Amino acid sequence: MSLSSAALVELMTAVLDKGRSFRFLAKGFSMSPFIKDGDVVTVSPFLGRKVRLGEVVAFISPQTHALAVHRIIRKQQTRFLLQGDNVPEADGTVSAEKILGFVERVERQGRDVNLGLGPERRVIAFLNRKGWLFQVRYVLWRLLRPLRDGLRRIANHDLSDKER
Amino acid sequence: MEKKIDIEAAYKASDEVVAREIEGELIIVPLTSGIGDMEDELFTLNETGRAIWSKLDGNKSLKAVVAELQEDYDAPVEEIEKDVTGLAQELLNRRILVEAAKT
Repeated sequence: MSLSSAALVELMTAVLDKGRSFRFLAKGFSMSPFIKDGDVVTVSPFLGRKVRLGEVVAFISPQTHALAVHRIIRKQQTRFLLQGDNVPEADGTVSAEKILGFVERVERQGRDVNLGLGPERRVIAFLNRKGWLFQVRYVLWRLLRPLRDGLRRIANHDLSDKER
Repeated sequence: MEKKIDIEAAYKASDEVVAREIEGELIIVPLTSGIGDMEDELFTLNETGRAIWSKLDGNKSLKAVVAELQEDYDAPVEEIEKDVTGLAQELLNRRILVEAAKT
């Protein structure tokens, strides 16, 4: 079922207001390669915690007034500057009320692809703020992926050692 | 085993769903899956379904719902009862509807 942006916002808000996560199919390429068209995105409510720099959030775009999922590249007191990882220009600033929730999980073809949601989000936000991310996004993706997989393997190895 | 619907009992929407009338359609999202726009996870009700759903408030029995719908619609009572119990059973099976506590 294909929902309009307004319908998606209404349903997402209703679910997040209940303190629960909302999953939906991402459409578009503005966050590629971190979120691609057809990925399953899980948006969760902030539940009182502060919005963090570099987080990928679902919000109402000040330009199109439609639902968008982009990254916070700058915090300005109570307003946030947002930009897609795969677009050269920022969306503009939005107030906290326009931010519906944060992206907690990204699934691609049944596998978790949460790259860009961890501590590396700050680096991505910095590069985007400087205008450098657009040129290096695919290089960064290729560099970060093996690094993350390596760290995951070490973590799993440590875990299995402890279980022995 | 699936629970059978009881026409003397009252039913209401589960706390584990969000239902919204959007763009002329009643859309139900189960919070357990939480999947917003995936075809197999969203439920929509047609006009008859919406009329029945609006009366499932947890206070009225299904029998009372049938009687109210009979006043609103010019249709045989057997047909209305079949629609009401059929939908209620389907929604109960999907855990969208729960039996209201008897007071």
